[in-house]
Amino acid sequence: MADRAPLLRTGVLLPLFFLIVTTVYLAAAFDIRSQFAAPGEMSPRSVPILMACLMYVALAVVFVGEFRKPTADGPAREMLRPALVIVATAGYIALFRPLGYWLATLLFTSALFGIFHFQLRKPLMFAIYAIGVTALFYGLFAGIFGVRLPTLAEGVF
Amino acid sequence: MDIFANILGGMSALADPYVIAFMVGGFLVGTFFGAMPGLTSVLAIALLLPITYTIDVVPALVMCASIFMAGMYSGSITATTINIPGAPSSMMTALEGNALMKKGFGANALGHAALGSMIGGAIGAVLLMAFMPIAAEISLLIRTPGKFSLVLFALVVIVIVDKSNIAKGFVATLLGVMIATVGIDVLQPIPRFNFGTETLVEGIDIMPLVIGAFAISEVLMQSETWKNSLSSTLEKAKDLRICRRDFLPPREEIREIGLFAYLRSAFIGYGIGILPGAGGSMAAFVSYAMARSSSKKPQDYGHGSREGIASAETANNSMCGGAFVPMLMFGIPGDPTTAIVLGVLVINGLQPGPRLLENQAELLGPMLGSLFFSALILIPLTLWLFGPWFIKIVSIPKGLLYTGIAVVALVGSYVATYSIFQMSLAVIFGVLAYFMRKQNYSTVSMLLGFILGPDLEEYLRRSLSLNDGNPMVFLTNLDSLFFLALTALFVWAILIRKPRKSSAEMRRDV
Repeated sequence: MADRAPLLRTGVLLPLFFLIVTTVYLAAAFDIRSQFAAPGEMSPRSVPILMACLMYVALAVVFVGEFRKPTADGPAREMLRPALVIVATAGYIALFRPLGYWLATLLFTSALFGIFHFQLRKPLMFAIYAIGVTALFYGLFAGIFGVRLPTLAEGVF
Repeated sequence: MDIFANILGGMSALADPYVIAFMVGGFLVGTFFGAMPGLTSVLAIALLLPITYTIDVVPALVMCASIFMAGMYSGSITATTINIPGAPSSMMTALEGNALMKKGFGANALGHAALGSMIGGAIGAVLLMAFMPIAAEISLLIRTPGKFSLVLFALVVIVIVDKSNIAKGFVATLLGVMIATVGIDVLQPIPRFNFGTETLVEGIDIMPLVIGAFAISEVLMQSETWKNSLSSTLEKAKDLRICRRDFLPPREEIREIGLFAYLRSAFIGYGIGILPGAGGSMAAFVSYAMARSSSKKPQDYGHGSREGIASAETANNSMCGGAFVPMLMFGIPGDPTTAIVLGVLVINGLQPGPRLLENQAELLGPMLGSLFFSALILIPLTLWLFGPWFIKIVSIPKGLLYTGIAVVALVGSYVATYSIFQMSLAVIFGVLAYFMRKQNYSTVSMLLGFILGPDLEEYLRRSLSLNDGNPMVFLTNLDSLFFLALTALFVWAILIRKPRKSSAEMRRDV
């Protein structure tokens, strides 16, 4: 059952987002200036303008299809866990350099374990798995492939 | 002939233990990802893409080829044992293989799937190597307007292949093309869509798009649905016992299927692989349908037909060879896996085309060899060594698995360029792809639009500038006209033509 207004479902909101992106893209395309243009030559903005126009046509067809469709989204609570994953990921990216690989990844894996309800009732196993995942991928990237990952000392000093 | 000799010469690199380690490692990773429902070989290659920045191109390509072959084969494992196809191309195998499993012939079904995959994969690789010199000759004949029409053909076919979502496929493809226009123009040194920032002047790399569209979006999808996934099936699977000796299909069963059936399926798979956007699912389905219509035992289909398993698995593995043809010759990937392999080539400064084969066949030889040996040796070897434990793959806790994938995806997107911006881009594309997948917009179309967009623009603009802006050049050039006619034929065959009624339906109507 739908628990949101028809206009606020992702089936409509996503193409609406594409419509806004396309409009910004088209406006930026008109600002592109060609350095030179031989007779009959397409300028650097021609294809982007063409793509934006085609996108408007495709989006119009998608909108018509969406408004004709009776289905709506599932309950909003389904989105909670993906939203939490996005927040955890954004936090990981923000802390990756300041805290370094080890601490940031340990916090990130713990957060994801929590979101996925993994070993929540066994704190010792939870900690062992979190450290294990962090160490495993450190071994893969830094050990096997010789990649230099950020450290806490670099972030602080 | 020189190209063929160079390819064979290049295969000698496979004797290097370092390269063999990447082939075997890639095969095991591909088997794991292919067998695990929800994970695919595309995801495996996407996750390993950043690693290719830090290793040589030969082991990187060898690893990609073995992952591709393994992922296509291993979908049959969970398809047979628990009726959940590990990969979409194993739908037909699930239908027949699981029916055999219920009758107590699970190991036999897995054996037939492996044999079909082995034959199909090996034939596909041989056909790829054999026809490569001819394809290279043909591709040299295609001029710029023809190249534009060929890329257009590929994009149109990718969009219309999913008949139920053409408008959304079109939106996704255009979105990919639009993302590809960010950065320096294809013909003039002018930055486009950088919005005043220096970061966007170099354009958007393929890596964050691939990681976001295939890895991060998958973690988001799974975070929504992971709980109700496999618990009941796994309870049943605990009791399954599989013995190694039962993997070997009896000679009379192989004879009953017949050499012709294997060959026909292999050629169908290879041919479908060449078509852009078609992929392993279509290869398996068409081959299965053809085998069923010409079978001496059509009544067995749906109830555990070994011929059905053989036809589907032979075709989907043979497809791997076919999919490399347009990618290597024209830079047009036939499916998402070859699209990412194309990314590996581009990252290493290699431009697909006949010149690549002529001048650097020693780099491609090991990759083609990896396809062949993965099919011929690693498929049966993996089944023999790990077959009895295949069922345990699905019992790995999802929380642990997807946390691992998220860490590899994010750290991988960082290590490729040591850039937090790339990490952020991967997440942005991941969130976008997550919503797109929820609304049935094809992320594969977006990726192929991103890859083919710059070629489309460059060939269009070059063709017009060389002909004073006259668009008739696309109709007066024979090669261009051929591809435009082919595009029209595909549009007619897929969208306009009504399906013919079967003879049984016609009799019913009368």
